[in-house]
Amino acid sequence: MSVVNSGMKARRTESTGGAIGQRSIGLLFVLPAVLFTVVFFLIPLVMTVFMSLNDWPLLGQHEFIGLENYANLVNDRQFWNSLWFTTRYTLLVTPMIFILAFGLALLVNLPLHGVGIFRTIYFLPVVIGLGTSSLLWVWLLHDRVGAIDAILLGLGLIDRPIVWLADPNFAMLAIIMSVVWKTVGFTMILLLTGMQAIPLELYEAARVDGASYIGRLRYITMPLLRRTFALALILSVIGSYLGFDQFFIMTAGGPQNSTISVVYWIYKNSFTNFKLGYGASMSIVLLVVLVILSVIQLRLLRDETSY
Amino acid sequence: MKRISKFVVVLLALLAISVAPLAAQDGVTLTMWSRDSNQDFLRELVDMWNSTHPNQIELTIIPAADFVTRVGVASAGGEAPDLLPIDLIYVPAFARAGNLAEIGDFIDSLPYADQLSPSHVHLGEYDGGRYAVPFAAEGSVLLYNKGLFEQAGLDPEAPPTTWQEIYDAAVAITALGDDTYGYYFSGACAGCNAFTYLPLIWASGGDVLSEDGLSATVDSPEVRAALEFYQRMWAEGLIPPSAQADTGTDFLNAFLTGKIGMAGSGAFSISVLKNDHPEIDFGLTFLPGQEGGSSSFAGGDSIAITSSSQYVAESFEFIQWVLSEEIQLEMFAARGQLPLRADLIDNEYSQQDPRLITNAEAMNLGKTPYSFVYNQLFNDANGPWLSMIQTAIFQGDIDGAVAIAQQGFTDILASE
Amino acid sequence: MASVTSTTTSAHRPRFSFWRLVLYAICIILAILFLFPIVWTAISSVKPPAEASAAPPTFLPSRIDFGNYVKLNDYGRGVWNYVGNSVGTAIMTVIGSTILSTLAGYGFSRFRFPAKNLMFVLILMTLMIPFQSILIPLFLILTGLKLQNTLFGLALVYITFQLPFGVFIMRNSFDTVPREIEEAALLDGCTPFTMLYRVMLNIVRPGIITVGIYAFLNSWNEFLAALIFMTKETSFTLPILLTSVRSGYYGAIDWGALQAGLMVTILPCIIIFLLLQRYYVVGLTGGATKG
Repeated sequence: MSVVNSGMKARRTESTGGAIGQRSIGLLFVLPAVLFTVVFFLIPLVMTVFMSLNDWPLLGQHEFIGLENYANLVNDRQFWNSLWFTTRYTLLVTPMIFILAFGLALLVNLPLHGVGIFRTIYFLPVVIGLGTSSLLWVWLLHDRVGAIDAILLGLGLIDRPIVWLADPNFAMLAIIMSVVWKTVGFTMILLLTGMQAIPLELYEAARVDGASYIGRLRYITMPLLRRTFALALILSVIGSYLGFDQFFIMTAGGPQNSTISVVYWIYKNSFTNFKLGYGASMSIVLLVVLVILSVIQLRLLRDETSY
Repeated sequence: MKRISKFVVVLLALLAISVAPLAAQDGVTLTMWSRDSNQDFLRELVDMWNSTHPNQIELTIIPAADFVTRVGVASAGGEAPDLLPIDLIYVPAFARAGNLAEIGDFIDSLPYADQLSPSHVHLGEYDGGRYAVPFAAEGSVLLYNKGLFEQAGLDPEAPPTTWQEIYDAAVAITALGDDTYGYYFSGACAGCNAFTYLPLIWASGGDVLSEDGLSATVDSPEVRAALEFYQRMWAEGLIPPSAQADTGTDFLNAFLTGKIGMAGSGAFSISVLKNDHPEIDFGLTFLPGQEGGSSSFAGGDSIAITSSSQYVAESFEFIQWVLSEEIQLEMFAARGQLPLRADLIDNEYSQQDPRLITNAEAMNLGKTPYSFVYNQLFNDANGPWLSMIQTAIFQGDIDGAVAIAQQGFTDILASE
Repeated sequence: MASVTSTTTSAHRPRFSFWRLVLYAICIILAILFLFPIVWTAISSVKPPAEASAAPPTFLPSRIDFGNYVKLNDYGRGVWNYVGNSVGTAIMTVIGSTILSTLAGYGFSRFRFPAKNLMFVLILMTLMIPFQSILIPLFLILTGLKLQNTLFGLALVYITFQLPFGVFIMRNSFDTVPREIEEAALLDGCTPFTMLYRVMLNIVRPGIITVGIYAFLNSWNEFLAALIFMTKETSFTLPILLTSVRSGYYGAIDWGALQAGLMVTILPCIIIFLLLQRYYVVGLTGGATKG
């Protein structure tokens, strides 16, 4: 039976296009999506590139200046600072999300009664928008009307309110806390689905060989999850690099400009300082950075298929 | 033949332009966008206009934080509204960019043109043209809690007139305990402090910008003294710790708790306090200088007509209506808004509450920085102004703060 | 430790054990942490307005009071105006995203054609640009198409930004459909279109629902484009109302109205997710585990 199957598979693969119709039919199916992407992404992107070559104020006339914006960018300390800040933020938040999500996924993969309910609960914050959740946390973290300080005070863990979003020592922590709460469920589900796709026989075999729980995690679960890891990693890194709402809403880049992310800085330049062209040049640099990072991560993903 | 007809068309067009101020059409719909501060009042005003005039106004309220973004994008796409009430500090930048219609002739046609709030008029000027008139007036003042003054053994009818007196009162009030603090300011709010902190410097004879607004004078002794003054109150615990984090959400809320002795504020606080917090007995006084004197930030909105508007004359009819005596008294003054004309400041409503007169006087003696980069200098949450305040007051590094701010101001001014 | 390890593989282990209790305790503590912000918002939103902004906060409401919701309704044009626009935009986004993603997913999964990889990468690249930087070009394009200021135009933009996720999920969903099913259908004389419509749709339904849920959530929660592309207040969506509440009256924020606004924004998302979650995980599986 399996021989027959694989035989059919081989034949079908080689004649995919011809078997169901002409090759151009596939093009027909993807055309609407591609058309949307061209009109609402590619053309705007090309326009952004053009804007980046202009002195383009938000109000008033623009003027072509070639690469001057890019030249200025090289000496813009704040831009590099915010790129570095965003990188640090990504390096902090990504492992936290991954470790926590991995733990949660292991937990909700256990055959406990009612574990599905916990799965749902841990995932619930994901359905809230990042902007909405940031607003929610602004309230929770408020030092007078917020619940968090009230609870910590009530438990006697602190003796005066922490001004989370204004204290340079706590602002970043507070933002990360809110982002982890909001997004960890998504990574958890990704990892969980990955775990559930691993054949049980592998675990049974390992158990027969006397492997411990940790051993099985290390030699079965983790390696087989690498493709899922890579996917979750790309999504998380891109999401963190493009982080805007949490900084815009929760700290507005403060305190003392300690939480200025790249996109926030692009937004500021374009719409507060009215330098659209300059903002556009930053966007292009950021896009290049993201493409490079993603290619590196995609390599990871591709290597994985050989496992 | 062709040439002649062309000539006639041009002539007609010229004629049409020249009579435009007189010949406003009826039955058109005008669009107007505004930021959301004070939106209830604005809605009422527009509803009243719509119910009494053939030309209708379609009002759109936009969250304040995104207002300029919204207008800028719309202008880029040629989709700007006809009427644009904007924070007066933006008028120079908007006018320079060519986004506003020159309305000098219209303004001259107003019999009370010389009575309009001087700061608004000044900021409406650019390169010999006039682009905006006052629409909402706001003058910063010092708000104080008379009840707390009394409890602390201070005379509630003799508010502070120097920094030392503010400090002494703050010490006495903080000593009441029970989470009571002498003074409050929004430590993470750039705009709030331009509004209530700059006047302390002005009243002492100093400034952060030169007269022409083109160079920075942050490293002057008055600025340093003002920073030391706040830093001292902060360090001695006369200001609640939450002030450091306040991005403006508690600008007034803090005072409304009844546990704050003094705070800088504006006319808007009077109606909120009277309507929602009758239990707080409050007084208003001028923001003083170090050794006396007083000043104020003349803020508020100016209203302009966009250069892309096809209904300049029609739009100005609305402006004229807003500035009329009837509306100024029955809508503005009756609802606790400051009238926009000096000749109407003393009216039956303000006589009922002398605090309103204090506020109006504050506004008239106030000033407003004229700068195309005002937003970057003062309003930007990541700009040099707020950064200076935070570094100096919360970290105690006054020299460092002043040096960095002087450099920051200079850089921004030079980039123009 | 032994019992922990065994639980991973053996299906049921009804007997009481110490470790099982510990695991339950961990699950419950975590659940409380995750649920707390949402539940706390719900509780606070039905406090009388004065209590809702009390400092320090009170725990349970002294009585159930919908005053905060009434105050929320006083902002702008009333809450239904915004809810209606959000629902309308979300429906258009969901329909558009699911149709486009399904078609494209099918095309990418089952056919070979020129520039296939290039197009796939192009769609995925949409993820990598900060939306803020193409705001102005997008506005100019919408204006050019005479779609500025329409919820339809807004939905078109949302659909585009749903495509990377949608196409990825749908391609993987189609990838997991056994080829044999198609072979059989082909013999019955199916064309690619009838095949998709009659045979495949049913099989990849979880994927479609997953894409739909995502489209709904993102459209429902998006703020910046909704504000910038809409001119008339009558076409503003819910997140704009929320921002309005947050900027408050001269910066004096009404915490009670904010809590009510958060609830109105969050609740529909939670309900939709709870109703459809059984498809959701399956749909994502099709997207994530095929190896």
